[in-house]
Amino acid sequence: MSFRTLLAARIALAALAFPMIGPAAAHATEQKQSQTSPLVSTEWLEANLASPKLRIVEVSVEPGVYERGHVPGAQNVLWHTDLVETVSRDIAGPEKFAALIRRLGIDRDTTVILYGDNNNWFAAWGAWVFAQYGLVDNVKLLDSGRKKWEAEKRQLDTRSPDVAASTFPVTPVSNGQRARLADVLAVARKERNETILDIRSPDEFSGKLIAPAGVQELAIRAGHIPGSVNVPWAKAVNPDGTLKSVAELKTLYADVGIDGSKPIITSCRIGERSSHSWFVLSRVLGYPVRNYDGSWTEYGNAVGVPVVNLAGTVWSGK
Amino acid sequence: MTASSLSERSAPGPSTGRLPVSLRVASAALIGAGLLIAALRLSGDPGGSRLALSLSFGALFGFVLQRARFCFFCLWRDLIDRRDPRGALGVLAALGAGTVGYSVVLGAWLPDPSGVRLPPDAHIGPVGPVLALAGVAFGAGMAISGSCIGAHLYRLGEGSPTAPFALVGTALGFVLGFFTWNTLYLASIAEAPVIWLPRHLGYAGSLFLTLAVLAALAAPLLRWLPPADASPSERVAPLRAVFVDRWPTWLGGLAVGALGTLAYLRVGPLGVTAEIGGRSRQAAAGLDLLPARLEGLDGFRGCATAIRDAILTPNGLFIAGLVAASLAAALAAGEFRPALPKRGQIGRGLVGGILLGWGAMTGLGCSVGTLLSGIMAGAASGWLFGVAMFAGLTATLLAGRRLSLLP
Repeated sequence: MSFRTLLAARIALAALAFPMIGPAAAHATEQKQSQTSPLVSTEWLEANLASPKLRIVEVSVEPGVYERGHVPGAQNVLWHTDLVETVSRDIAGPEKFAALIRRLGIDRDTTVILYGDNNNWFAAWGAWVFAQYGLVDNVKLLDSGRKKWEAEKRQLDTRSPDVAASTFPVTPVSNGQRARLADVLAVARKERNETILDIRSPDEFSGKLIAPAGVQELAIRAGHIPGSVNVPWAKAVNPDGTLKSVAELKTLYADVGIDGSKPIITSCRIGERSSHSWFVLSRVLGYPVRNYDGSWTEYGNAVGVPVVNLAGTVWSGK
Repeated sequence: MTASSLSERSAPGPSTGRLPVSLRVASAALIGAGLLIAALRLSGDPGGSRLALSLSFGALFGFVLQRARFCFFCLWRDLIDRRDPRGALGVLAALGAGTVGYSVVLGAWLPDPSGVRLPPDAHIGPVGPVLALAGVAFGAGMAISGSCIGAHLYRLGEGSPTAPFALVGTALGFVLGFFTWNTLYLASIAEAPVIWLPRHLGYAGSLFLTLAVLAALAAPLLRWLPPADASPSERVAPLRAVFVDRWPTWLGGLAVGALGTLAYLRVGPLGVTAEIGGRSRQAAAGLDLLPARLEGLDGFRGCATAIRDAILTPNGLFIAGLVAASLAAALAAGEFRPALPKRGQIGRGLVGGILLGWGAMTGLGCSVGTLLSGIMAGAASGWLFGVAMFAGLTATLLAGRRLSLLP
């Protein structure tokens, strides 16, 4: 049964059970909906905007996008500063993350809806950071993010909401969602039986390109990690930006030998687009998967590691 | 009040244009309709509302600039040559209205200004000696070429013979700016503080301080005002007042302040050099003229000169709208008077333009982007650029006149 049918059925049931109390029905729907799927639809979010146990968080990459109009009640998180350490290359540390989560008014039982521009790339990256601090099942993505919300001409707000701070404790980071250079190296050297899913473009994967045009962060070798398979991230989405159905996604990844029977590591250039595929594989399909945020900017710069360079590109940096 | 005292040349009556009135009005209406249709077409495309808004804001800005002769060079010359403060009061009105408008927007967007964040895209730049140098160069360029970049753009619509050369010079000046950027960045800009007044004073404090400074600047000027017209009861024909007569500069200033706020709310701060700079950078990069990297440049807000991929950009459409609307306004008012350039105009345009371009590139914007939009947003960089610009303008103007090089 599709998500939308489920939603309709629930609303109908709730309406039958409580014909006179709309808000309670909506609240009941929200409770159930938010437990069933890692994705919420734009319809669902619009119907549940007023829910008190809901926190909506926008993580976009374009500056000013949030401020010039966001989902009503949404709060703003900047991935360049809020979700990372700004001096060392790492996700936000426990203290910094706890301070952010308290400011956002999120507790462990709060339903968090993340969304953003660029097909939720950075929102998915946010979900991956949240997951490392134990915020997993209660963190959902708005399916398609801003793209569909805007396309459907739904309401946007320019005011920032006032949210009461929470008491989220400082939590140690758990590395179950994260792969390190040593992990991918073990796979590359066939010491470990895992699959690396490289979601960059075919030209980056083959080594024809070191990075897409115009990006600053480069590697000094081209190609991919031995043992990787290539499924560009965009293959998992429909033209309207929503994720494909579970059946379609299973087929997409089964075609390259990924069926959830062995652990997967997702990888890209800086680890942010691969979070999108990490979310699809781990949260939507329930496969065992870790994201390698070092990605090609770490691996392609590392000394003495094996590389597959199908295009034979020779680095000629000056 | 006679508008002519504010003008670089005496304002012509409606019948003194070279073209017949009906032809002028018809052409102006045609351009206006073209702008409207273009905006409508753009707004229908997916993601086109930003472009349509940019075109509309540009057109309104060009209309206001032309109607009110909102020109930093003219106001300064009126002030020091004729002790006529009306133009200067107009700019102060723009800054006051815009500062209030920005405070309203910023307070909603970033309720707590005290953290490490800066408001998105606001023109808040590094404050240091390089910014002062950029302001002085920009002011000198204004004195030599006879306008700032924004005013050259609206004068293009009036058929000015100097403006095209000044704008070519500006593009060259930008390329020159790219050459000197890395040296200046490493020597000074990288360590220059980015000062945003609301972070230190809060929104209320910053607003109060800015308005107090503007009032302090306005107080002595008000005393220089010519006595008010004794017969204000003269009937005003509305169409004539809007489309033919020169607007009082304070009205233009209030309109600029309102436009600045609305443009910031929906698209981005007013600025006229991002497109010129971006295209210059693209052309220079295409010819392999640029350093391989411009250190730190793309990290700054302001009239960022990022290389353009798209054919239509918001700032490009803003400029196109500005020039087209200024042409339409000039036609309707009988102020479109194209002339063949004289050798002096070509030379002064190019030399002044190069200084304008270098100053705008190095100062991350011009009298519109850095000064107006910066001060409205509470940026100390806007004030420093403004002071340096007027200093450079005065010194160059006086020196140029002494040497009989400038009128």
